[in-house]
Amino acid sequence: MKRFTLYLFTLIALGLTACQQEVAHEDDSCCAKPVAEGLPDGTGTLAIPAAALTDMSLYNLDSDWQNQRGEELKLQNFQGKVQLVAMVYTHCSYACPRIVADLKRIEMGLEQYKQEDIGIVLVTMDPARDTPARLLQFAESNNLNPKRWTLLTSEQDNIRELAALLNMKYKMELDGEISHSNIISVLNENGEIIHQAEGLGVEPDETVNAIKSLLQKI
Amino acid sequence: MFRRLLTLVLVIGACSIAQAQKSTPTDMVPVKGGTFVPLYGSNNQTVTVQSFRMDRYPVTNAQYEDFLAKYPKWRKSEVKALFADAGYLKHWASPLGVGPAADKLKDSPVINVSWFAAKAYCECQGKRLPTVNEWEFAALASETKKDASSEPSFYQRSLDWYSQPNPKYLPPVQSAFKNYYGLYGMIGLVWEWTSDFNSALIVGESRQNASLDRQLFCGAGSTGASDVKNYVAFMRYAFRSSLKANYTVANLGFRCVQDVPVQTTAKK
Repeated sequence: MKRFTLYLFTLIALGLTACQQEVAHEDDSCCAKPVAEGLPDGTGTLAIPAAALTDMSLYNLDSDWQNQRGEELKLQNFQGKVQLVAMVYTHCSYACPRIVADLKRIEMGLEQYKQEDIGIVLVTMDPARDTPARLLQFAESNNLNPKRWTLLTSEQDNIRELAALLNMKYKMELDGEISHSNIISVLNENGEIIHQAEGLGVEPDETVNAIKSLLQKI
Repeated sequence: MFRRLLTLVLVIGACSIAQAQKSTPTDMVPVKGGTFVPLYGSNNQTVTVQSFRMDRYPVTNAQYEDFLAKYPKWRKSEVKALFADAGYLKHWASPLGVGPAADKLKDSPVINVSWFAAKAYCECQGKRLPTVNEWEFAALASETKKDASSEPSFYQRSLDWYSQPNPKYLPPVQSAFKNYYGLYGMIGLVWEWTSDFNSALIVGESRQNASLDRQLFCGAGSTGASDVKNYVAFMRYAFRSSLKANYTVANLGFRCVQDVPVQTTAKK
């Protein structure tokens, strides 16, 4: 009998704890972003402390991303280098090939610089179809040099957040196409937007000059 | 012995009641899914909205104060400019609260909040911001009908509101227009953030952002609206398209939504 009572009380206690844990867990799990914290597991290759991020740095976004090789990374990994950023989706038949062409024209204007000095980042708006494997295929078929070009995917929510900061507007249409604005952004080494070119087929000179003046400062 | 068992049952019962209440909060109302034709849909295509729960009221100043007490990084003094511009909470007297006007404003909708701040608030409640489609779907309701889009008097309410200047003190959320679902202030109180506000106004394959505005504001372009008399929704889409994620605006607030969990039949 006594044992049974003990058993009962244990059960009750367990029941109560489970109830409380649930509540506590909810408190902890929310609001995970956007927080600028160090890489959580300490295994990151970047030793840049979060405090080094400036107020307007896009790298304040703490979301998790994957590149075309399926490697996990944070936007902070792009810190320290001038980056050209644009958003695409690989099933796109019109605007996206054009924006890649525009980026290549900008790249041609920067031939005097080393591959490592400038990065080019393509972010997909279509994570459901643009898997890392698909992005790799897209990179290869467009001859995108992996030393310079990174193709990124993440959860839709994280992508929409980054898009909001890049002033990108996009909308999924029912036919599988995505209507979107076309913007090429130049980020300085701190991840701040210092120049944006809107539209397709824009003359690359302004963007090239913006990058050159940045690289002279570094 | 029986009594002990009873106690056990009661305790477990209390716990599950608490859980159940958490899953159907009293401050939210269910909005049953359905279909509608959004104003700027592609070729008048019908959009399906799944069932969801929506906050009965827009988030108030008092609720936002509680949020800041718990999450200091969203205080005016702490927040990064990337996530909220300089006008963030400018109607508050101090970084922590409304201040002297509290008795007038505590139950009024919080305004001057950025998209990032609104999004974080909702995530902290285990909720999220509504999509444009969810918000527009819920806003189609009058007092008595789910879909009042065919009633001219329903639009008049919005038009009357849009034509009035912002009052010095926004009224309490409980005093606002209550629609079919039991949602207060979907019209007549403040504009509200949506999760995908930056999907607004894209018509076709836009070559540059400027063309969007042209599509909207030129005479020919505005015939692209699925219902021309729906000037009201037109205003909302136009407003959304002008926003950036760190903007704060003096008549822009928000409320949160939640997915309706998939029903589990196995639970006894």
